[in-house]
Amino acid sequence: MTMIMAEPVERTELEPPAPEQESELVRRARKGDLEAYDDLVKRYQERIYATIYHMTSNHEDANDLAQESFIKAFQALKSFKGGSSFYTWLYRIAVNKTINFLKQRKNRTHMSLNDIDFNAEHDPDLMALISDKTPRRAAALTELQKKLNEALLKLSEPHRLVVVLHDVQGQSHEEIAEIMNCNIGTVRSRLFYARQQMQAELADYLK
Amino acid sequence: MNENENSFESLRRLLAFKNRETPPPGYFDSFSSNVLGRIRAGESSAPEGFSAGASWLVKVLQAFEFKPAFAGTFALGLCMVLVFGIVYAERPDAVSQSLLTQSAQITAPTAMTGTPDFTQQAETSGLIATTNPVLNLDSVATLFNQPNQLAQQVSFTVPGN
Repeated sequence: MTMIMAEPVERTELEPPAPEQESELVRRARKGDLEAYDDLVKRYQERIYATIYHMTSNHEDANDLAQESFIKAFQALKSFKGGSSFYTWLYRIAVNKTINFLKQRKNRTHMSLNDIDFNAEHDPDLMALISDKTPRRAAALTELQKKLNEALLKLSEPHRLVVVLHDVQGQSHEEIAEIMNCNIGTVRSRLFYARQQMQAELADYLK
Repeated sequence: MNENENSFESLRRLLAFKNRETPPPGYFDSFSSNVLGRIRAGESSAPEGFSAGASWLVKVLQAFEFKPAFAGTFALGLCMVLVFGIVYAERPDAVSQSLLTQSAQITAPTAMTGTPDFTQQAETSGLIATTNPVLNLDSVATLFNQPNQLAQQVSFTVPGN
């Protein structure tokens, strides 16, 4: 009899963790177990940071807001009833915090963009968009990054959030509706309008 | 909706470029420890008495943040109290004020005769301000069973005498 060892399945980045494990961690964290909360932070830190970063286009602001969101979530854990997943609840806190911050900041926009992944220069899709613009790829990528962030910042916060969650982070309409506490129709219409705006802003790159 | 998805396909590919923006190397290695450090620092810096005393305040503030309807109701309540206060303050109490000054003038001679000024005492204690019929001197004078020196003797004849 031969035993077939199951190969370890690599978890994709967007796949949510096993719910049992998560609920157990949440239960422990609610009792003040910081080790359990540390696990929860590690699970979601990248996604929460990325969402806030794409909303603010500023690394320092994203860093502060992401940390504050996790701290706020820990303090409010006792009010977490479990009606939605911890992940959705945490997202709501981060999104509300970010939108409040952006409303206060208003027009005082200062971009502090992260570096572009080195592999981006080898992305054929991306290169197809910029190859005929300039022979200097690195400069072209930086320019594209700037234009992209400027176009995003021109959108209102709810429209920007829908684009970031759906088109950048790949979340479903249903998940976004739950995070934004609105119906799916609203998510779709916001996404359509935001894409139209973005298309007009980035027309040079989309010919 | 699929048509829309297709028409925005190149935009979506362009937006996917945002995922290429990455924070400084090693940034996430220390992220959770920074968060936990701040949580611990917050726990240790808050005095016990304060945290216990202010817990209700924290709960109210949290309710404001997580339940906008609650914040709206609270704001509405505050507005109603404010409006009620303004309306109540503008009620025609001016009439009673003018009557008060009249009563003060009328009772002035009593002070000159050496009797205590009950009107003033009653005014400070709030008796006259709203309920006292200030033109009726009897009611003031009989507060403490003092003789009313302004009262005039009335003579009348009883029918049949």
